[in-house]
Amino acid sequence: MNLLNLKKINLLFIFIIIILALIGTAALYSAGEAEFDLWAKKHIIRFFVFLIIIFLIASIDIKIFYKYAYFLFFMSLLLLLSVEIIGTLGKGAERWINIFGFSVQPSELIKINIILALAKFYNDLRFDRIGKIRNTFFPLLFIFVPTSLIALQPDLGTAVTIILLGLFIMFQSGVRIWKFFLAGIVTLFSFPFLWQSIKPYQQKRILSFLNPESDPLGQGYQLIQSKIALGSGALQGKGFLGGTQSYLQYLPEKQTDFIFTLIGEEFGFIGVSFILLLFFILILIAYFISIKSRHIFGRILAIGVATNLFLYVVLNTAMVSGLLPVVGIPLPLISYGGTAMLSIMISFGLLLNVEINANNTSLNK
Amino acid sequence: MFNLHERKQSKVFNRRTFFLLSVKLGIFSVIGWRFFDLQILNSKKYKTLSKKNQINVAIIYPVRGEIRDRNNIVIASNKKVYDLYIIPEQTNNLENTLNNLNDYIEISFKQKRKIINLSEKVKKFESIKIIEDLNWKDLEVIETNKIHLDGLHLEEDFQRIYPGNNAFSHILGYISQPDKKEVNLPYISKMPKLDIGKTGLEKYLNEDLIGIAGKKEIEVNSYGRVIREISLDPSQKGKNLQITIDSRLQKFTFDELQSHKAGSIVVLDINSGEILSMVSTPSFNPNLIIKKPNVEYWKSLLGNPLSPLTFRSVQGLYSPGSTFKMIVALAALKHKLVNPKTTTFCNGKIEYGDRLYHCWKTKGHGKMNLENAIKESCDVYFYELSKKIGINKMATVAYELGLGQAYDIGLENEKKGIIPSKKWKKENLNENWYAGETLNAAIGQGYSLSNPLQLAVMIARFASNGKKITPTLFKRNDEVIFGQIEYLSQFSNIIKDALFKAVNEQKGTAYKSKSNDYFFSGKTGTSQVKKITQAERESEEFRKKTIEWKNKDHALFVGYAPSKNPKYAISVIIEHGGSGASTAAPIVKRTFDYIMKLKI
Repeated sequence: MNLLNLKKINLLFIFIIIILALIGTAALYSAGEAEFDLWAKKHIIRFFVFLIIIFLIASIDIKIFYKYAYFLFFMSLLLLLSVEIIGTLGKGAERWINIFGFSVQPSELIKINIILALAKFYNDLRFDRIGKIRNTFFPLLFIFVPTSLIALQPDLGTAVTIILLGLFIMFQSGVRIWKFFLAGIVTLFSFPFLWQSIKPYQQKRILSFLNPESDPLGQGYQLIQSKIALGSGALQGKGFLGGTQSYLQYLPEKQTDFIFTLIGEEFGFIGVSFILLLFFILILIAYFISIKSRHIFGRILAIGVATNLFLYVVLNTAMVSGLLPVVGIPLPLISYGGTAMLSIMISFGLLLNVEINANNTSLNK
Repeated sequence: MFNLHERKQSKVFNRRTFFLLSVKLGIFSVIGWRFFDLQILNSKKYKTLSKKNQINVAIIYPVRGEIRDRNNIVIASNKKVYDLYIIPEQTNNLENTLNNLNDYIEISFKQKRKIINLSEKVKKFESIKIIEDLNWKDLEVIETNKIHLDGLHLEEDFQRIYPGNNAFSHILGYISQPDKKEVNLPYISKMPKLDIGKTGLEKYLNEDLIGIAGKKEIEVNSYGRVIREISLDPSQKGKNLQITIDSRLQKFTFDELQSHKAGSIVVLDINSGEILSMVSTPSFNPNLIIKKPNVEYWKSLLGNPLSPLTFRSVQGLYSPGSTFKMIVALAALKHKLVNPKTTTFCNGKIEYGDRLYHCWKTKGHGKMNLENAIKESCDVYFYELSKKIGINKMATVAYELGLGQAYDIGLENEKKGIIPSKKWKKENLNENWYAGETLNAAIGQGYSLSNPLQLAVMIARFASNGKKITPTLFKRNDEVIFGQIEYLSQFSNIIKDALFKAVNEQKGTAYKSKSNDYFFSGKTGTSQVKKITQAERESEEFRKKTIEWKNKDHALFVGYAPSKNPKYAISVIIEHGGSGASTAAPIVKRTFDYIMKLKI
């Protein structure tokens, strides 16, 4: 670890995430009906604690992450497996595990480790060998072993996110395009089987998404309410703390997954676009970092982090605006919740690390 | 520096980077457009929708089912109560109204502040509860002075009420708010605020008593104000249930215990096994637990060293004392180890090992046969007998007569007690059995422990000539057919004759309590609490000294009536009551008198 490296840290990136976290704090203050202690306080404290973690991770030699990429992957896989076992014994949908008094959701942590493992794999792979079957097989293992465990929990939203994340990275790394077409066709034909294999409540979610009026008091209602709240926010919104709370009463997760609805209602289209713009700038910065990096490990790592962030933002905003079924994905830095924030902040740490170590060519063979 | 592969990789890599970035930008644009569509193009539509009224669903809580006794007398019911509410927006000035109210009903300053603070947090049109369960006087005052009390209104609610107060509390238990775990019980899901049974039958019967929630659809405007009721799906009251207790007898036996600090009485119907009465003192008043604030009352219950929350009839364990002798006698008869006619001489004590074993009658009983030994409760006779039988055979018979087991009558924490045996001692204390311990066991001392319900079952099984009666709190519809203890039907007349004479013949231990109108039979028991030392036993001082209450013996009696064709079995235990003959037997007599009068 060399803290001097931090002189090279991307200040614009840090600045933007601080703004987003402050917006999140304000929104949570509003969601808590003007009570700071309910969610907002914890949110902002968490953010600044995790900001220190970003700096720590950014200042560690990138070779360490490279060296332990597979090890970390297996560790988090074990964690996931233990949650699965404890969950089975406890007879419920368990997604949390308690480590040193902290509730940790291993499915969040494994995302970062999949990015690391894939980055290492493609960094070590000679490009002319990428077409071999086994070199497609191993990355798929990295993706699908944890995914199937998470799907069993059952946490469909996270499982789908991880598959998309993995496929983005594989595509980025140069896997032949026809393989993706093949995968697409296979998925299409196996759809009836997949439909059978998911839980009834998940089927209901998808059905109520396709036809919200079919379940006006359940999931569909939530969507209708979310759309009404957003739509009535119009261009400028109803003003801070001005959201008509009666809508949000129907959003059981207004402080987590549906926080963006509240922002849309109170700050209108201007607020919504501003936040989307900030997130897109973060993604752009990640792409610049990727391009600047002189080793494949860093390039893939940066794009992995960007894609992870992209998926969070897109899936969450698409969900609250009724473009996608309600899947339960938080909005990074803004939604209330510790593990999601920790995992996204760790990934930011890795991203800034890649930028600091852009010229470290020792990872090339 | 770059070789061919790497150059090619770099090219592919860059190409795909830009491709994916464009894809992401595209998707972001779609999302952006979606919000543009919602918030700009269609905002008018949603604004109109947002002003439209919404439909809210409110849960209607069901009324809890009643519990009745065997004669359909209500013992757990619901009282209609009136709660006083205030709606801030309907008052000219909230504080003034509260001050006016204070002229009629006292409202503390603290309470007033609380209401005013609360009114600032909730919406102006929401009701705030001021007083729960108004009494009739206050109700009247409020009705007559309505003009000065703007914004106040009354709402109906139901409160659980137990008319029997302390007499039924252990059997019935009480209701209260569910805890974190209970909230997830399937039958109260959706009704998180419902009071549920926490102990006793209220807990055991929750599922039947709770009923089914109804719902009400209400139209509210965008601020949450109720506009109108759209539909009403009423709740369904829980089932009314009947139990086997006779509340008259329950109250009578409860009152019988009041002259003692602690004890229990159990009365069984021998034909059906139905429990007619089961009381335990000290007791508690469930009505005081339900009524808030109850902190002080809880403190007094938990601070009471006699633990009023314990249901002694099933949770209290006592040495059966001399009531155990009928088991020993039966074991001897079963294994043909005794001839009822042969006699043993009792001179007040026997020596066994290097120890002296005393009879309660210091002078000794003289010549004793089996019948007289039961009738006069001669310890020495049973010491001698037990040496021939051995502990294990006694244990088997004790178990078959109903001791050492729980009957799962629906009350939690029913204690099994202990029937000592060689195996039991090895498993539980990891020690070998000493021969002398068999002698102690023969008079129901030592390790033996039973609860009062078990003792009632034991005497009922003797009384019925060996029917394997099990107790219940729920009506048994048809004539139940119990299993039969074969060897008991063969010898029961020998033991029952002795039990008859114990009450109805001179020298019988309970002769003083005999009835002149009918016959009952039974056996006294005195269960030793404090070991008496040899020195104490021999000193005349000790005999005369009044013993401190907590060191006094427990007084027991088990019996049945009428002696011919027995119908009722009873077990009485008075903690530290002295001797069974002097304390427990008179209670049994009075209880049987009462039962005969009632003709249950």
